Amino acid sequence: MDGIAWASSAMVAARTRLDIATENLANVSSDGFHAALARGRLTAAGVEIARVATRDHGALRHTGRPYDFAIVGDGAFAVRAADGRVSATRNGAFERDRDGLLRDTQGRELVGTTLGPGATVRTGYLETSNVNAIDEMVDVLTSQRSFESAEKVVSAIDGVREKNANDVARVK
Amino acid sequence: MDRALFAAATGMAAQQQNLDTIANNLANGDVVGFKGSENEFAALAAPGEPGVGTVRTAEHALFKQGKLERSNGPFDVAIDGEGFFVVGDGHRRAYTRAGEFSRAADGTLQNAQGWRLVGVRIPGDAQSANVAEDGAVTVTTSAGIRTIAHLQLAQFPAPERLQSVDGALFTPTPASGNAHLVTPGGSDGPKLRYGMLEQSNVSIIESMMQILTAQRAYEANAKGIQAADEMLRIANNLQRG
Repeated sequence: MDGIAWASSAMVAARTRLDIATENLANVSSDGFHAALARGRLTAAGVEIARVATRDHGALRHTGRPYDFAIVGDGAFAVRAADGRVSATRNGAFERDRDGLLRDTQGRELVGTTLGPGATVRTGYLETSNVNAIDEMVDVLTSQRSFESAEKVVSAIDGVREKNANDVARVK
Repeated sequence: MDRALFAAATGMAAQQQNLDTIANNLANGDVVGFKGSENEFAALAAPGEPGVGTVRTAEHALFKQGKLERSNGPFDVAIDGEGFFVVGDGHRRAYTRAGEFSRAADGTLQNAQGWRLVGVRIPGDAQSANVAEDGAVTVTTSAGIRTIAHLQLAQFPAPERLQSVDGALFTPTPASGNAHLVTPGGSDGPKLRYGMLEQSNVSIIESMMQILTAQRAYEANAKGIQAADEMLRIANNLQRG
């Protein structure tokens, strides 16, 4: 790999970092949301960003509603969509429908709960998003700066190559 | 579409919706029987892919009991517990927890918007009225005390899915199910409180805190847009002739 390829991989990595940070920031009010972490590593193809799920849980907030549930500890609610697909969610905001079934705000039916060791369910509480807005803001700013730095490197190498190509062999 | 720009834009839109809801709650902080609303957001996720932003999945009224305050109005009634008064405008029915009624010329009890409490007509010779815990409406006349009606309350299988007309008046939807009438009183049922009104269940302090949070989150998302924009600008200037 040459220098320009390295620096441009750093630019792409900075963009991915920004994608992840803005995605997290957008979900700062989504109950049960777990932020993704951007983890960078060096590979033969340059800098690569991996998206890693965070495992720490959001704070609980009291709602007092009878069908709001929060899992304290590890675990998830199993919900089934209209097409039969079952997925796991930490958002425990459910509502009773007219047939007495509990459905989440996306209309999916609550079909079960899987709890990790020692985990409990609390009624009348919701787990808030675990996004830390300050961390994400720092990520937005650092990704922007590292993008700029990488761009400076690309420009510098480009400038050197331009000189090599146009000026070195010039006969006055 | 640029991922970061899109995600940040949905984040700003979500906080805007949050501010709208909180502002509406605050504006009705003094309205009798008003139920505040809350938004529910979820990550926008395409199957098998990380999401691109957030979306509002619900805006629902919170039927938390409001504080009961003594009002001493001659026809004020509050509900302590679950349920709604049944009111009508002559054509259709609606449901409310605002029990601030006054006596119309024909003896019916109506609220400020002209909705009449179904099933009650105060006779012309009544000097005063009273409503018992169990819904029995009695009037005092020169001939003594007599019971003229028994108020029933409406309950719904899914009250969160009621359509809110103005935050205090609700109409049923297919999702809420139909009203079924219950008689108040009993050991664990709702009770009627005569001479009291249920205040708005919006907490001003909590709403102010929510406004601050929403504002800051809006700004943070706006910074995300700025950063994405700046990166695009730099990328566009990479090629300098």
